[in-house]
Amino acid sequence: MDPEDIKVATFHSHYGAIMFRKRAGVDAELRPVPRTLSSSCGTAVFFTSPFNPAIADENTEAVYMRDGDCWREIWRK
Amino acid sequence: MDIREKGKLGLTGLLIGAAAVILTVLGNPGNMGFCIACFLRDTAGAMHLHTAPIVEYVRPEIIGIILGSFAISVATGDFRPRGGSSPVLRFIIGFIVMVGALVFLGCPLRMVLRLAGGDLNALVGLLGFIAGIGVGCIFLSNGFTLGKAEKQSAIEGAALPGATILLFVLFLAVPSLLLFSESGPGSMHAPVAAALLAGLLAGVAAERTRLCMAGGIRDIFLIRDFTLISGFAAIFLAALIGNLITGSFRLGFADQPVSHPMHIWNFLGMTAVGLGSVMLGGCPLRQLILAGEGSSDSASAVLGMIVGSAFAHNFSLASSANAGPGTNGKVAVVAGIIILVAIAAVVTIKERRKA
Repeated sequence: MDPEDIKVATFHSHYGAIMFRKRAGVDAELRPVPRTLSSSCGTAVFFTSPFNPAIADENTEAVYMRDGDCWREIWRK
Repeated sequence: MDIREKGKLGLTGLLIGAAAVILTVLGNPGNMGFCIACFLRDTAGAMHLHTAPIVEYVRPEIIGIILGSFAISVATGDFRPRGGSSPVLRFIIGFIVMVGALVFLGCPLRMVLRLAGGDLNALVGLLGFIAGIGVGCIFLSNGFTLGKAEKQSAIEGAALPGATILLFVLFLAVPSLLLFSESGPGSMHAPVAAALLAGLLAGVAAERTRLCMAGGIRDIFLIRDFTLISGFAAIFLAALIGNLITGSFRLGFADQPVSHPMHIWNFLGMTAVGLGSVMLGGCPLRQLILAGEGSSDSASAVLGMIVGSAFAHNFSLASSANAGPGTNGKVAVVAGIIILVAIAAVVTIKERRKA
């Protein structure tokens, strides 16, 4: 994955992450939620394709984009 | 990022493993430097919730873990009161997790400490724990969720840490209100200050790193990620080295401290703990940490575990050291697993219909 394009989506359930990954394209991966984003130990989806809010559903919590060393929120339910 | 997180988890594991051995040297029962299930049970006994005379003591480790998590989460902005994600189901699941743990005689953290002490009965428990987590992962992958947690008031989030402070004040100021074992595991304890300090350190470190005994195995099953399991491995390593240094390591099944060699019940007890922990989103230690961060859902699970421990002793569900569980305990574990699977199945089917 190109680090500049990486986005990460967080979810209310693991199943939400599985379903999102299917919709997010071939370069999407399931990984633990980054500690800097949350103290929860849930599953996140890392992906590089452009984020289309239509692929989010009620299980999607938020989507962040890499911004230097930080994550910048670009979408929240 | 992954290597940094693994490093922090490794250090946390080493800290907790070493602290556990030190607490044992200072007076805690064998291979019981930390045990969330046993210590909640002892605390329940001290509060007159059960009357098993050998397991009554307010364990400062529990108080330290909750307050350590609470303090560091307030300081770092992780204190976010939330709740409303099936609190009654979480209470019931917490209850069953406790019954399973008391049939095995330990929570997942003590299972690792028992392994590090050479207790091979814990290896049987580990297999059961992995099996339970595996079943839970099947449900998670097919839609199981206890629902979304919503924002709550600060007082709701601080209620359990506040109650913990009140209990500690009563313990120090009016101990005559509480019960204390004069013999058995409840009478064996490290000095209060050492136990509280160890709990505080464990609470702070586990909150920062998200250490979870169940989460490590769950992440291997679900996303092939080995980050969380590194904490589990480091606890084992530190406790193993500590036990070898102190001469507490004794390999075998028989005559292990607070343990029994009935394999099927060690396996099934920890199966209930593994499955229940995956459904709750974390092991008993993680529930204490999340409760400290303001999760009233995890507080419900902790209350379920406390009540479960009281039932386990009032109704003879808990195992006896060496002898294992009686009939009541065996029935309770099997019934508990059936109830967990039934809850998971019903919720999963409902979620799949919604999708």
